[in-house]
Amino acid sequence: MEPYKNEMSTEHRVEAGVEGQQALGGRRTFFGWVTGVAASLIGLGLAVPLLGYVISPALKRRDKPWVAVGSVGGLPVEQPTQLDHMSTIKDGYVETKSHKAVWAVKQAGGDITVFSPLCTHLGCGYHWDASEREFKCPCHGSVYDIEGHVLAGPAPRPLDVLPSKVEDGTLFVTYKEFKAGLAKKVEI
Amino acid sequence: MASKLYTWLDSRLNLKPIQKTLLDEPIPGGASWIYVFGSATLFLFALQAVTGMFLAVYYAPTPDHAYDSIQFIESEVTFGAFVRGLHHWGASGMVVAIGLHMLQTFLYGAYKPPREAMWMAGVVLFLIVMAFAFTGYLLPWDQTAYWATHIGINMVGTVPLIGEFLMKVMRGGDTLGALTLSRFFAVHVLFLPALLMGLIAVHLFILRRVGPAGPWTDQRAELRHEAFYPRQVYMDAVVMLGVFLVIAALAIWLPFPLADKANPSDTSFVPVPEWYFLFYYELLKYVHGPLEPLATWVLPAIVILVMLFWPFIDRNPARNPVRRPVAIGGGMVFLFVVFALLGISLRDLYAVSRADPSVMRGKAVYAQFGCAACHRIHGEGGAVGPDLSFVGDSRPDRDWHVRHHKDPASVSPGSIMPKFPLTEQQLRDLASYMVSLKKEA
Repeated sequence: MEPYKNEMSTEHRVEAGVEGQQALGGRRTFFGWVTGVAASLIGLGLAVPLLGYVISPALKRRDKPWVAVGSVGGLPVEQPTQLDHMSTIKDGYVETKSHKAVWAVKQAGGDITVFSPLCTHLGCGYHWDASEREFKCPCHGSVYDIEGHVLAGPAPRPLDVLPSKVEDGTLFVTYKEFKAGLAKKVEI
Repeated sequence: MASKLYTWLDSRLNLKPIQKTLLDEPIPGGASWIYVFGSATLFLFALQAVTGMFLAVYYAPTPDHAYDSIQFIESEVTFGAFVRGLHHWGASGMVVAIGLHMLQTFLYGAYKPPREAMWMAGVVLFLIVMAFAFTGYLLPWDQTAYWATHIGINMVGTVPLIGEFLMKVMRGGDTLGALTLSRFFAVHVLFLPALLMGLIAVHLFILRRVGPAGPWTDQRAELRHEAFYPRQVYMDAVVMLGVFLVIAALAIWLPFPLADKANPSDTSFVPVPEWYFLFYYELLKYVHGPLEPLATWVLPAIVILVMLFWPFIDRNPARNPVRRPVAIGGGMVFLFVVFALLGISLRDLYAVSRADPSVMRGKAVYAQFGCAACHRIHGEGGAVGPDLSFVGDSRPDRDWHVRHHKDPASVSPGSIMPKFPLTEQQLRDLASYMVSLKKEA
């Protein structure tokens, strides 16, 4: 096969550009404008739904169920007890089991307070020191009394109380998490 | 502001020559609406790439979760059904756009020297798009996906000597399962896009080296030489917007539902391939027994080879269709056969009303929860609630039924109907049954 001659010389290319500019004049602006509008409409038509698509799960609030954690009768008075909080949560399209341990304290009057198991400073797990009768966080030395008040350490606020109720002798708790490090209790 | 930024960047990066190369490409014979199909195909590829990336945000390529994750996208993610719809209809749109692009190239004789390599790269691009369609079809892991892919892979099995081996490689073993799904996923989202982008680059590189073919008569091509920008860019942009609006409208008004979750034990399911594979599906009905390999692989292999080497088979130097009676005649016969097969297949598909398995299951749910105690259908059942004999005519909206059965008071305030503990699947089945209760049925 004979080599094929390229139809367009370099000279011709330059000419084409100049010719286009001169011949079109005002129409050139119009074509540019329509191109811009078409591109923007497509961009907008995609950006809005795609953005919503990605952020929608972040905006959904999960239902936090009441979970039975044990019978009230079994709780010793003024002796904090750690109770299992088991629930099934929907994680997107997967159902997962959530297992948390909350601190329940039966006060002398019979009222029950349930504390979140996380220290309000940076979210470490703390424990009950039975001999000194204090809650102690091992990480940075925060100390709380049996009512959750801060006695020492960097903790910015008292222990977080979780919503709880008693029905037919059974203790129900709703598990929530709060932002660590703030003086105010802010739910996540 | 924008022009200032451009000047600033240009003074450092020397952008002007690039802009010239990209926008001042001369179009022989001037810009034309007939040249938009390539850009429309490229636009649809970009749309598929973007929507595909976003689908991957939620999709899980395992048999345990694939179906649930798509259902999650469909029913719980904001704009989820729309994004999936764009991807689904975008695939169809891409096949249409490529078809028109190839048709125009063929009609204009634009595959002739010096553009043989561009045509060949184009044919490979077309095959890659078909491979995209085939691998993507399995991903929702619903009944249609499972059985259509099952059949597709079995066809490969009829290739002599290596068929069995190829089949096992495609499936990742002896059965269509977890390994098949993950390899189809990897091929669909990683291997094929990389291949496709490389070949698009080759295709466009050749285009820029040899220039567009232009009109088929040299006299007309010499009439004017117009630059690519602004008029061809404007035409391309208008067509892209049009294509986007059509795909978006289809995604909104013709949702692409999920069938039931893939069930390898349910052999009663009749799978139907996508419309662009239908002509081939129809062809297989006419060829049986020892001749079957002829239809499943001999003929397709010949068609693909002829397509690929077409510029070397058609040695007629003329580009004008009038002076190419054999090529144009042959092309018309080929198109006629394909569209006749497609037509017959579509007619058969829509003539036979198939029993929808979800309607049957919905009927079972109706019986199981004792709905007949209050409702009457064709004279059977109590008269406490409304007669449901023709409820599909008065309430054709499936979603209404789903909401109603989930919580009757939410859509019918004051309703005395109690809530029933139905699963999502049962709700959908029951809705299918309710909607099917029509006068003509």
